[in-house]
Amino acid sequence: MLPVVSSDVLRRNNVRITGNPAGRVLVFAHGFGCSQAAWNLVAPEFEAEFRVVLFDHVGAGDSDLTAYDRGKYDSLDGYADDLLEILEAADLQDVVFIGHSVSAMIGVLASNRDPSRFGSLILVGPSPRYVNDDGYTGGFEPADIRDLLDALDANYLGWSAVAAPMIMGNPDRPELGERLTQSFCSTDPDIARHFAHVTFLSDNRADLERVTVPTLVIQCTDDLIAPVEVGRYVHEAIPHSALAVLSTTGHIPILSGAPEVVAAIRRYLA
Amino acid sequence: MTDSEYEKRYRQAPCGLLSTDISGVVLEANDTFLDWIGYPADRVIGSAFTRLLDAGSQLFFETRHTQALHLRGSVREVALRLKRADGSVLPVLVNSELRRDEQPAVVRTAVFDTTDRLRYETDLLQARKAAESSEERVRLLQDVSSVFEGSATDEEVAESFAALCREAFAATETAVLLRDGTGGMRVVGGANPLAGTVPPIASLRNTTDVIAVHADDAEPEFPVLAAGLREARLESLSIAPLMNDGESLGVLVCFFRRHREFDERSFDLKRALGRQAAQTLVRIRLQRRLEHLALYDQLTGVANRQLLQQSLDAAIGISARANEPLALVFLDLDEFKSINDRWGHAAGDTVLREVASRLREAVRAGDIVGRIGGDEFVAICANSDPHDGESIAERILAVTHEPILLQGVAITVAVSAGIATYRPGTDPRPTGDQLLIRADAAMYSSKTAGKGRVTLEPRPVG
Repeated sequence: MLPVVSSDVLRRNNVRITGNPAGRVLVFAHGFGCSQAAWNLVAPEFEAEFRVVLFDHVGAGDSDLTAYDRGKYDSLDGYADDLLEILEAADLQDVVFIGHSVSAMIGVLASNRDPSRFGSLILVGPSPRYVNDDGYTGGFEPADIRDLLDALDANYLGWSAVAAPMIMGNPDRPELGERLTQSFCSTDPDIARHFAHVTFLSDNRADLERVTVPTLVIQCTDDLIAPVEVGRYVHEAIPHSALAVLSTTGHIPILSGAPEVVAAIRRYLA
Repeated sequence: MTDSEYEKRYRQAPCGLLSTDISGVVLEANDTFLDWIGYPADRVIGSAFTRLLDAGSQLFFETRHTQALHLRGSVREVALRLKRADGSVLPVLVNSELRRDEQPAVVRTAVFDTTDRLRYETDLLQARKAAESSEERVRLLQDVSSVFEGSATDEEVAESFAALCREAFAATETAVLLRDGTGGMRVVGGANPLAGTVPPIASLRNTTDVIAVHADDAEPEFPVLAAGLREARLESLSIAPLMNDGESLGVLVCFFRRHREFDERSFDLKRALGRQAAQTLVRIRLQRRLEHLALYDQLTGVANRQLLQQSLDAAIGISARANEPLALVFLDLDEFKSINDRWGHAAGDTVLREVASRLREAVRAGDIVGRIGGDEFVAICANSDPHDGESIAERILAVTHEPILLQGVAITVAVSAGIATYRPGTDPRPTGDQLLIRADAAMYSSKTAGKGRVTLEPRPVG
């Protein structure tokens, strides 16, 4: 394989580095269905103190779609490769990796491969396997995943950038509007479909016990996608991990319960 | 209008209307919605809206819809499936708006029953997906066939086949293994991530139909393979034989980092691709064989007259450009006719084959040997001055003079040799034919001088 030039990596993954250059590094990774915009309510809260790194997975947001290689991105390993390349390209050390949803597992895979760059992992709504198995409750049956893929097809139009008006009318937080780009949460429907396959049909349970980096699991109440039993499973499987259960409900606390997520991260890093 | 009239219009609106808080808990719902869903108000109010969806819609709603709604402020025409109290499913389209101007922020949603439209759209979608997937299949087969058309070697076929299949099947790696002459197989295209860790497994490599192997259930049958897969972080692989006329020429192996379920369609496609690759290999091998037939002597396997002439012209050109001498050795068996007469033509052929084989061993690597007709052979020796040419010719005479067994009897063969040389800068540049005639003439001098010897063409004096 050809050596990857760091500026190419930063452009490929639309890497944005903000915040306090002298601060500890926080790397935020978005989950399935959106882009780095998913961190719009959380990441800015850390900019005064921390160096904040945001990026889009290839296929999402403003990433380089021409870099989408179906073979590479057919497993979370391909995304973990990218994450390690980003850390190397931006020369980041002692990284606090904060991954939402599927990105939690991407962080686990990357830190297992090269723990040296990671200071800790913060996993928001992680699930190592969404499909039930003998003696394991992931929450879903294979038929449910097929239904999701049908739902993606039925909502084909919703993936394109056409229907993305610039709304975020928040008079108190005018900077939020500036952060949004026309393309947030938009992507190519075929890529969304493939990413859904990879996200919801992967099994990374065996990778949890190999984690050596200090880890915090953030679990919401009443999360249908990553139920509390799954959060506990992750917490128990990762050696020396901590578990924070939030009162916020649903799978997207980083948008629906941002202040509580910010507080949990702050507590852990304090 | 009075408040109660407004309320009536809200309650009985011809669409479902509901409000949820920012985390998706239902705050209120109108009668239309409650009628559709079939639950009493107290079961709906206060619980999460996602609880009213089927599992596929829940996954979509929680991972996609919620993020888009929060960031865009509204979403339009989202297709979801409501799970009613009686267990049936109601397909709906949903518009939602996030009102951050209210305290606390609230999401207002309108729900439209789309049973009929959705059935129609689903049919269309199914038809489109079926058409797309068969189009994809046809396109892939076409791509493969156009790439194969431009391939001239096994390596080109294997490389392009591996690359196309890696893309088409979203495989982490693909490898094309072809049988070599010794009954083994080697990687000719793509890469084998298990090379060096998993020794070849004959039953897999010799398969005559497509098979799949998964790391998590391969343990009992293939323990070493299972361990190798885990080591390489691979979860599944598929093996497709390249079949032609019931014979397997090799295999296409696709490696996957993720556990894959393969359906009959994907097996069938791999079968078809494997056949196409095998047919291409057969075609180019036949072509290669025909080219070989046209340029090599069928009896002895060395270059024929045509190839010798081409090679000699090329060698003279190279010699002139590189300013290096060139020697041409012309060889003729002595008394070959009497061997034929005494032992028969089959024995004569054996002698010619043996001489050709010894000739190949006697020359240096890079020298070209050929049979120019009857019992005449030629060796083209690049970068050889007259002295080099002479010592090569002497070596040839020595090895061909070793006894040859014919029907249990050892006979010896003598050879007469003549050498012509071209020294760029000193000699005028000859044509290939001229150099051949001169070497032939030198050989003839050997014959007249008593055979079994080497003659260097006389150099003009002065």
